[in-house]
Amino acid sequence: MGLISLAVLIAAFFVYYSIMMMLSPGRKYASIRDEFGIDSTEKSREGNPVFSDSTYLKLLKEKAFLQSRLIMAETDSIYLTLNLGDSTANLEISGVVVHSVKYSAIEASKIFIKGDENLILSLMANPFTIAKDWATIKKEPVMIKMAPKDTSEYKPDIMPDTSITEPVNYILEMTDGTRIYVCQQEIENGTDRRSRLMFDLQYRLQDAWSSMKNIIAFKVPEYHLFIKIYLPRNDAKNIYRAIPKYGQVGLYR
Amino acid sequence: MENNEFKNDVTLPPEQNRQDDDNFTPENFLRSVKSAFEKIRGNERLFRLLKNITLILAAAIFIILASWYFLFMAPALKELTGVRKTVITNNEELKKTPAYKKQIAQLNRDIQRLSRKYNSYTSGQSYIVINTTENRFSLYKNKKLVREGFCSSGSYTMLQTEGNKKWIFKTPKGRYWIQGKITHPVWRRPDWAFVEEGLPIPPKEHPSRYEYGVLGDYALSIGDGYLIHGTIYKRFLGMPVTHGCVRLNDEDLEAIYNTLSIGSKVYIF
Repeated sequence: MGLISLAVLIAAFFVYYSIMMMLSPGRKYASIRDEFGIDSTEKSREGNPVFSDSTYLKLLKEKAFLQSRLIMAETDSIYLTLNLGDSTANLEISGVVVHSVKYSAIEASKIFIKGDENLILSLMANPFTIAKDWATIKKEPVMIKMAPKDTSEYKPDIMPDTSITEPVNYILEMTDGTRIYVCQQEIENGTDRRSRLMFDLQYRLQDAWSSMKNIIAFKVPEYHLFIKIYLPRNDAKNIYRAIPKYGQVGLYR
Repeated sequence: MENNEFKNDVTLPPEQNRQDDDNFTPENFLRSVKSAFEKIRGNERLFRLLKNITLILAAAIFIILASWYFLFMAPALKELTGVRKTVITNNEELKKTPAYKKQIAQLNRDIQRLSRKYNSYTSGQSYIVINTTENRFSLYKNKKLVREGFCSSGSYTMLQTEGNKKWIFKTPKGRYWIQGKITHPVWRRPDWAFVEEGLPIPPKEHPSRYEYGVLGDYALSIGDGYLIHGTIYKRFLGMPVTHGCVRLNDEDLEAIYNTLSIGSKVYIF
């Protein structure tokens, strides 16, 4: 009898957990709508056929992307632009594309793909700012070298070993919680596979833990909008090392 | 009916009886399971061992399934919920209305204005892009790539003394411009160049600070003491080995020196 009660209790928790998880994107979508959606002063937009017209939306997309790129170009920093339409990731400095790469595959939040066009375009009209990141490589691969006490201790620099390749996977989390997952495209050996699996498990564990804490406290867990792209190893590394810690990212779809 | 009764009454030879027992029927199977269970039940130690193994297996399966649920299935559930999609229309009647035309014209004007502003950032002037991760450079003239090749950039080495003095050898990233052009540059060795070799630091203008011919025929200054210059260590080109400056081979350096002028942009990433 005790075992049956326990099983029922566990099953009930799983159902409750699932419901709370399914509620989280809706909560996020509502908060985006509150921030960028139609407000009471713009009620006239609701039901206006112009705002769902294909030509109008195409132009609005272009305008949103240009607006976001201009804001970023006005700074001296290096920034990243992701064009979800033609699958390109560009590194830019003050409006000049310094590195461009095509990515092979993309996975993204349903909200990004299917969400209300006007709403998502309003969200994308401003650049996203990186708040934190996790990576399998160092941002600055600093090596510490102790100065020799005299000339007898001095050893000239040897040629660095450039044959060592480290797996490159990282997550850029923006101030609004949006995450950009960048995974290296090539899986050449067991190390690459293990590294990606461990990295994936690590953030999944973190997310599961955070969701669990919220759900136990009867709160809807946080939902992170996401975009996951697969880039060639060197390009992924170039981008990660180039963008500043609190750099900016522009999205275009 | 009669036939069946007759069959049941017949005593079969022992071989045929055994054959019937070997036949797989649910009754036989249940009977053999029951007898096996009885045998195990009779053996207290074996029964306890099997009970423990079953419990451990059940717990392991539960943990695996629960982990899979929390790590993979529950996050996937988030993507199951629907969002209201905009129904994109293409109404020809609407396109003829003055209000629509006005909206589109306004958007086109905005895009043109923003594009003009954005394109003004990439001037027709020559510029150079330096990739410090791959140690490569690209030279542009009139927005067209005219030359590319290998270079050497900062090694990311942090030189530390026992007195806790530190220098970090990295090439700065961002937008810079050519602030000076020098022919036959002379390297004025900074303090770290002596510390790195275990030599005592000489006074500021001491002759031992000046080294001739090590920076190639030309140098272009980008500010804060950082230079784009030549090198005698050509085998290191394409590798991160410098103290922060950008090193190039003689031919590339000459081409860059001749293409870039003071004020030309240098983009380093």
